[in-house]
Amino acid sequence: MSVDRLIKLELSKLNIHLPKQRISLKDALRSAEPHVTARDGSVHAFKREELELLAKMLPETDWEKLQLPIFISFDLKLGRGTAKIAGDIEVKVVSQILRKEGIGDELLIYRPEVAILRKNLPTTTQYFFMAG
Amino acid sequence: MAMVAPTRMELLKLKQRISLAQRGYDLLTEKKDALIIEFFEILRRIKEARVGAFEQLSASYRALSTCFAVMGTIETRQASKEAKRELQVDVSTRHVMGIVVPTLRVEKVERTALARGYSIHTTSSVLDEASREFEKALELLVELAELEESARAIAKELEKTKRRVNALDYIIIPRLRATVKFIAMRLDEMERENFSRLKRIKAIFEARA
Repeated sequence: MSVDRLIKLELSKLNIHLPKQRISLKDALRSAEPHVTARDGSVHAFKREELELLAKMLPETDWEKLQLPIFISFDLKLGRGTAKIAGDIEVKVVSQILRKEGIGDELLIYRPEVAILRKNLPTTTQYFFMAG
Repeated sequence: MAMVAPTRMELLKLKQRISLAQRGYDLLTEKKDALIIEFFEILRRIKEARVGAFEQLSASYRALSTCFAVMGTIETRQASKEAKRELQVDVSTRHVMGIVVPTLRVEKVERTALARGYSIHTTSSVLDEASREFEKALELLVELAELEESARAIAKELEKTKRRVNALDYIIIPRLRATVKFIAMRLDEMERENFSRLKRIKAIFEARA
Protein backbone atom coordinates (compact mmCIF):
# COMPACT_ATOMS: atom_id res chain seq x y z
CA MET A 1 0.00 0.00 0.00
CA SER A 2 1.37 3.39 -0.95
CA VAL A 3 2.14 5.98 1.70
CA ASP A 4 -0.66 8.25 0.43
CA ARG A 5 -3.24 5.48 0.77
CA LEU A 6 -1.98 4.74 4.28
CA ILE A 7 -2.33 8.40 5.26
CA LYS A 8 -5.84 8.54 3.76
CA LEU A 9 -6.77 5.36 5.63
CA GLU A 10 -5.47 6.81 8.90
CA LEU A 11 -7.42 10.02 8.33
CA SER A 12 -10.60 8.10 7.54
CA LYS A 13 -10.22 6.15 10.80
CA LEU A 14 -9.82 9.26 12.95
CA ASN A 15 -13.56 9.84 13.39
CA ILE A 16 -14.76 6.26 13.26
CA HIS A 17 -15.74 6.40 16.94
CA LEU A 18 -18.35 9.11 16.35
CA PRO A 19 -21.97 8.07 16.76
CA LYS A 20 -24.28 7.42 13.81
CA GLN A 21 -26.88 9.44 15.63
CA ARG A 22 -26.69 11.42 18.84
CA ILE A 23 -29.34 11.12 21.54
CA SER A 24 -30.81 13.80 23.77
CA LEU A 25 -30.10 13.92 27.49
CA LYS A 26 -33.82 13.32 28.11
CA ASP A 27 -33.77 10.07 26.10
CA ALA A 28 -30.52 8.99 27.72
CA LEU A 29 -31.95 9.53 31.20
CA ARG A 30 -35.07 7.57 30.29
CA SER A 31 -33.10 4.64 28.85
CA ALA A 32 -32.16 1.69 31.07
CA GLU A 33 -28.84 1.34 29.27
CA PRO A 34 -28.01 4.75 27.79
CA HIS A 35 -25.73 4.36 24.78
CA VAL A 36 -25.12 5.36 21.16
CA THR A 37 -23.95 3.23 18.25
CA ALA A 38 -20.70 4.33 16.65
CA ARG A 39 -20.08 4.52 12.89
CA ASP A 40 -18.09 1.27 13.07
CA GLY A 41 -21.07 -0.46 14.73
CA SER A 42 -19.64 -0.64 18.23
CA VAL A 43 -21.47 0.61 21.29
CA HIS A 44 -20.52 3.64 23.35
CA ALA A 45 -22.18 3.57 26.77
CA PHE A 46 -22.83 6.63 28.93
CA LYS A 47 -22.28 6.53 32.68
CA ARG A 48 -25.45 7.30 34.60
CA GLU A 49 -23.61 9.47 37.12
CA GLU A 50 -22.52 11.75 34.29
CA LEU A 51 -26.04 11.98 32.91
CA GLU A 52 -27.31 12.89 36.36
CA LEU A 53 -24.59 15.52 36.70
CA LEU A 54 -25.65 17.05 33.36
CA ALA A 55 -29.31 16.91 34.39
CA LYS A 56 -28.49 18.83 37.57
CA MET A 57 -26.69 21.51 35.59
CA LEU A 58 -29.53 22.21 33.19
CA PRO A 59 -33.20 23.09 33.59
CA GLU A 60 -35.54 20.27 32.55
CA THR A 61 -36.62 22.20 29.45
CA ASP A 62 -33.06 21.95 28.07
CA TRP A 63 -32.74 18.17 28.50
CA GLU A 64 -34.31 17.59 25.12
CA LYS A 65 -31.97 20.10 23.44
CA LEU A 66 -28.69 18.72 24.75
CA GLN A 67 -27.41 16.14 22.28
CA LEU A 68 -25.01 13.49 23.57
CA PRO A 69 -22.14 12.93 23.27
CA ILE A 70 -20.87 16.51 23.31
CA PHE A 71 -18.22 16.95 20.62
CA ILE A 72 -14.83 18.43 21.42
CA SER A 73 -13.84 19.46 17.90
CA PHE A 74 -10.19 19.85 16.98
CA ASP A 75 -10.06 22.02 13.89
CA LEU A 76 -6.72 22.44 12.13
CA LYS A 77 -7.68 26.02 11.30
CA LEU A 78 -7.73 26.86 15.01
CA GLY A 79 -4.17 25.74 15.60
CA ARG A 80 -2.63 23.00 17.71
CA GLY A 81 -4.25 22.32 21.07
CA THR A 82 -7.34 24.47 20.50
CA ALA A 83 -10.74 22.83 20.50
CA LYS A 84 -14.22 24.09 19.79
CA ILE A 85 -17.53 23.31 21.48
CA ALA A 86 -20.54 24.03 19.30
CA GLY A 87 -24.19 24.44 20.28
CA ASP A 88 -26.00 26.69 22.77
CA ILE A 89 -26.71 24.09 25.42
CA GLU A 90 -23.36 22.36 24.97
CA VAL A 91 -21.57 25.69 25.51
CA LYS A 92 -23.72 26.30 28.60
CA VAL A 93 -22.74 22.94 30.13
CA VAL A 94 -19.04 23.15 29.27
CA SER A 95 -18.71 26.73 30.50
CA GLN A 96 -20.24 25.67 33.82
CA ILE A 97 -17.79 22.80 34.19
CA LEU A 98 -14.79 24.93 33.24
CA ARG A 99 -16.11 27.98 35.12
CA LYS A 100 -15.52 29.97 31.98
CA GLU A 101 -17.73 32.56 30.38
CA GLY A 102 -19.43 31.14 27.32
CA ILE A 103 -21.40 33.41 25.04
CA GLY A 104 -23.30 32.29 21.96
CA ASP A 105 -23.18 28.89 20.37
CA GLU A 106 -19.43 28.46 20.13
CA LEU A 107 -16.74 28.16 22.76
CA LEU A 108 -13.01 27.80 22.26
CA ILE A 109 -11.17 25.77 24.84
CA TYR A 110 -7.50 24.89 25.20
CA ARG A 111 -5.63 21.72 26.07
CA PRO A 112 -5.63 22.04 29.91
CA GLU A 113 -9.37 22.79 29.74
CA VAL A 114 -9.92 19.76 27.49
CA ALA A 115 -8.25 17.66 30.20
CA ILE A 116 -10.59 19.08 32.88
CA LEU A 117 -13.63 18.53 30.67
CA ARG A 118 -12.67 14.92 29.90
CA LYS A 119 -11.99 14.30 33.58
CA ASN A 120 -15.53 15.43 34.47
CA LEU A 121 -17.35 13.95 31.48
CA PRO A 122 -15.37 10.96 30.18
CA THR A 123 -18.28 9.16 28.49
CA THR A 124 -20.57 12.04 27.54
CA THR A 125 -17.91 13.89 25.54
CA GLN A 126 -16.06 12.69 22.45
CA TYR A 127 -13.22 14.02 20.33
CA PHE A 128 -13.98 15.10 16.78
CA PHE A 129 -11.12 15.80 14.37
CA MET A 130 -11.83 18.26 11.58
CA ALA A 131 -9.49 18.35 8.62
CA GLY A 132 -10.09 22.07 8.11
CA MET B 1 14.86 10.40 -6.12
CA ALA B 2 16.81 9.30 -9.21
CA MET B 3 13.66 7.57 -10.52
CA VAL B 4 11.53 10.72 -10.43
CA ALA B 5 10.79 12.37 -13.76
CA PRO B 6 11.67 16.05 -13.42
CA THR B 7 8.46 17.41 -14.94
CA ARG B 8 6.04 20.12 -13.90
CA MET B 9 3.25 17.52 -13.63
CA GLU B 10 5.34 15.48 -11.18
CA LEU B 11 6.10 18.64 -9.22
CA LEU B 12 2.37 19.41 -8.87
CA LYS B 13 1.63 15.83 -7.81
CA LEU B 14 4.37 15.97 -5.19
CA LYS B 15 3.08 19.26 -3.81
CA GLN B 16 -0.37 17.66 -3.41
CA ARG B 17 1.22 14.69 -1.64
CA ILE B 18 3.08 17.02 0.73
CA SER B 19 -0.16 18.82 1.51
CA LEU B 20 -1.89 15.48 2.29
CA ALA B 21 1.04 14.29 4.40
CA GLN B 22 1.12 17.62 6.28
CA ARG B 23 -2.63 17.37 6.98
CA GLY B 24 -2.15 13.80 8.18
CA TYR B 25 0.73 14.91 10.40
CA ASP B 26 -1.30 17.79 11.92
CA LEU B 27 -4.35 15.63 12.62
CA LEU B 28 -2.33 12.74 14.01
CA THR B 29 -0.44 15.19 16.24
CA GLU B 30 -3.78 16.42 17.61
CA LYS B 31 -4.79 12.80 18.17
CA LYS B 32 -1.48 12.08 19.91
CA ASP B 33 -1.94 15.11 22.20
CA ALA B 34 -5.50 14.04 23.05
CA LEU B 35 -4.29 10.48 23.77
CA ILE B 36 -1.61 11.85 26.09
CA ILE B 37 -4.31 13.80 27.99
CA GLU B 38 -6.39 10.62 28.28
CA PHE B 39 -3.40 8.51 29.30
CA PHE B 40 -2.27 10.83 32.10
CA GLU B 41 -5.83 11.18 33.41
CA ILE B 42 -6.16 7.39 33.53
CA LEU B 43 -2.77 7.08 35.25
CA ARG B 44 -3.88 9.57 37.90
CA ARG B 45 -7.07 7.59 38.47
CA ILE B 46 -5.15 4.28 38.60
CA LYS B 47 -2.87 5.74 41.25
CA GLU B 48 -5.84 6.76 43.39
CA ALA B 49 -7.66 3.47 42.78
CA ARG B 50 -4.56 1.43 43.66
CA VAL B 51 -4.11 3.24 46.97
CA GLY B 52 -7.79 2.66 47.81
CA ALA B 53 -7.71 -1.00 46.73
CA PHE B 54 -4.49 -1.78 48.64
CA GLU B 55 -5.80 -0.12 51.81
CA GLN B 56 -9.02 -2.10 51.52
CA LEU B 57 -7.16 -5.34 50.81
CA SER B 58 -4.96 -4.88 53.85
CA ALA B 59 -8.09 -4.25 55.97
CA SER B 60 -9.61 -7.41 54.45
CA TYR B 61 -6.56 -9.55 55.22
CA ARG B 62 -6.49 -8.19 58.78
CA ALA B 63 -10.12 -9.22 59.16
CA LEU B 64 -9.31 -12.65 57.67
CA SER B 65 -6.44 -13.15 60.14
CA THR B 66 -8.82 -12.35 63.01
CA CYS B 67 -11.27 -14.82 61.50
CA PHE B 68 -8.57 -17.54 61.32
CA ALA B 69 -7.71 -16.85 64.96
CA VAL B 70 -11.29 -16.88 66.22
CA MET B 71 -12.87 -19.60 64.06
CA GLY B 72 -9.85 -21.64 63.12
CA THR B 73 -8.26 -22.14 59.70
CA ILE B 74 -10.12 -25.31 58.73
CA GLU B 75 -13.56 -23.93 59.61
CA THR B 76 -12.86 -20.67 57.74
CA ARG B 77 -11.70 -22.59 54.65
CA GLN B 78 -14.76 -24.81 54.85
CA ALA B 79 -17.06 -21.76 55.05
CA SER B 80 -15.27 -20.18 52.07
CA LYS B 81 -15.94 -23.34 50.03
CA GLU B 82 -19.63 -23.14 50.86
CA ALA B 83 -19.89 -19.46 49.86
CA LYS B 84 -21.49 -18.51 46.55
CA ARG B 85 -18.92 -17.34 44.06
CA GLU B 86 -21.07 -15.52 41.57
CA LEU B 87 -20.72 -11.89 40.70
CA GLN B 88 -22.86 -10.03 38.21
CA VAL B 89 -20.56 -7.78 36.14
CA ASP B 90 -22.06 -5.65 33.43
CA VAL B 91 -19.43 -5.18 30.71
CA SER B 92 -20.01 -2.44 28.18
CA THR B 93 -17.64 -0.33 26.11
CA ARG B 94 -16.83 3.28 25.54
CA HIS B 95 -14.76 4.92 22.86
CA VAL B 96 -11.70 7.05 23.27
CA MET B 97 -10.82 8.16 19.73
CA GLY B 98 -11.56 4.83 18.14
CA ILE B 99 -10.08 2.79 20.97
CA VAL B 100 -12.67 0.59 22.56
CA VAL B 101 -12.12 0.61 26.32
CA PRO B 102 -14.19 -1.51 28.70
CA THR B 103 -16.67 -0.11 31.19
CA LEU B 104 -17.41 -2.48 34.05
CA ARG B 105 -20.38 -2.05 36.32
CA VAL B 106 -20.89 -4.35 39.27
CA GLU B 107 -24.33 -4.81 40.73
CA LYS B 108 -24.28 -5.13 44.53
CA VAL B 109 -21.01 -6.77 45.54
CA GLU B 110 -21.80 -6.49 49.23
CA ARG B 111 -24.18 -9.25 50.26
CA THR B 112 -26.05 -10.11 53.40
CA ALA B 113 -24.79 -12.98 55.57
CA LEU B 114 -27.64 -15.17 54.29
CA ALA B 115 -26.93 -14.39 50.64
CA ARG B 116 -23.29 -15.43 50.96
CA GLY B 117 -24.27 -19.08 51.16
CA TYR B 118 -22.35 -20.39 54.18
CA SER B 119 -24.08 -21.60 57.30
CA ILE B 120 -24.63 -18.81 59.80
CA HIS B 121 -25.17 -21.28 62.64
CA THR B 122 -21.69 -22.76 62.50
CA THR B 123 -19.77 -19.56 61.76
CA SER B 124 -18.83 -16.50 63.74
CA SER B 125 -19.62 -12.83 63.09
CA VAL B 126 -15.91 -12.24 62.39
CA LEU B 127 -16.36 -14.26 59.21
CA ASP B 128 -19.17 -11.90 58.17
CA GLU B 129 -16.87 -8.97 58.89
CA ALA B 130 -14.04 -10.50 56.80
CA SER B 131 -16.45 -11.30 53.96
CA ARG B 132 -17.79 -7.76 53.98
CA GLU B 133 -14.25 -6.34 53.81
CA PHE B 134 -13.36 -8.62 50.89
CA GLU B 135 -16.54 -7.69 49.06
CA LYS B 136 -15.63 -4.02 49.39
CA ALA B 137 -12.12 -4.82 48.12
CA LEU B 138 -13.57 -6.73 45.15
CA GLU B 139 -15.60 -3.70 44.09
CA LEU B 140 -12.44 -1.56 44.12
CA LEU B 141 -10.48 -4.23 42.24
CA VAL B 142 -13.10 -4.36 39.47
CA GLU B 143 -12.81 -0.57 39.12
CA LEU B 144 -9.00 -0.87 39.05
CA ALA B 145 -9.20 -3.60 36.40
CA GLU B 146 -11.30 -1.34 34.17
CA LEU B 147 -8.80 1.49 34.52
CA GLU B 148 -5.75 -0.69 33.94
CA GLU B 149 -7.26 -2.24 30.81
CA SER B 150 -8.14 1.24 29.52
CA ALA B 151 -4.59 2.46 30.21
CA ARG B 152 -3.13 -0.55 28.38
CA ALA B 153 -5.32 0.03 25.31
CA ILE B 154 -4.62 3.78 25.24
CA ALA B 155 -0.86 3.24 25.68
CA LYS B 156 -0.85 0.80 22.75
CA GLU B 157 -2.69 3.27 20.51
CA LEU B 158 -0.47 6.12 21.68
CA GLU B 159 2.63 4.17 20.72
CA LYS B 160 1.17 3.45 17.26
CA THR B 161 0.14 7.06 16.70
CA LYS B 162 3.52 8.37 17.87
CA ARG B 163 5.29 6.05 15.44
CA ARG B 164 3.13 7.34 12.57
CA VAL B 165 3.62 10.98 13.53
CA ASN B 166 7.40 10.46 13.69
CA ALA B 167 7.43 8.63 10.34
CA LEU B 168 5.60 11.55 8.72
CA ASP B 169 7.72 14.16 10.47
CA TYR B 170 11.16 12.64 10.02
CA ILE B 171 10.89 10.44 6.92
CA ILE B 172 7.93 10.98 4.59
CA ILE B 173 7.57 14.77 4.59
CA PRO B 174 11.37 15.49 4.44
CA ARG B 175 11.75 12.98 1.57
CA LEU B 176 8.88 14.55 -0.37
CA ARG B 177 10.33 18.04 0.24
CA ALA B 178 13.75 16.89 -0.94
CA THR B 179 12.20 15.45 -4.13
CA VAL B 180 10.30 18.71 -4.75
CA LYS B 181 13.54 20.61 -4.29
CA PHE B 182 15.35 18.28 -6.71
CA ILE B 183 12.64 18.66 -9.38
CA ALA B 184 12.50 22.44 -8.96
CA MET B 185 16.27 22.69 -9.32
CA ARG B 186 16.26 20.35 -12.31
CA LEU B 187 13.49 22.40 -13.99
CA ASP B 188 15.44 25.62 -13.35
CA GLU B 189 18.53 23.98 -14.79
CA MET B 190 16.59 22.90 -17.90
CA GLU B 191 15.22 26.42 -18.28
CA ARG B 192 18.73 27.85 -18.08
CA GLU B 193 19.96 25.28 -20.65
CA ASN B 194 17.12 26.26 -23.01
CA PHE B 195 17.82 29.92 -22.54
CA SER B 196 21.52 29.58 -23.34
CA ARG B 197 20.69 27.27 -26.29
CA LEU B 198 18.30 29.86 -27.70
CA LYS B 199 20.88 32.60 -27.20
CA ARG B 200 23.47 30.49 -29.04
CA ILE B 201 21.05 29.79 -31.95
CA LYS B 202 20.21 33.50 -32.13
CA ALA B 203 23.93 34.33 -32.26
CA ILE B 204 24.46 31.80 -35.10
CA PHE B 205 21.56 33.27 -37.08
CA GLU B 206 22.85 36.79 -36.54
CA ALA B 207 26.34 35.74 -37.71
CA ARG B 208 24.89 34.21 -40.91
CA ALA B 209 22.77 37.27 -41.67
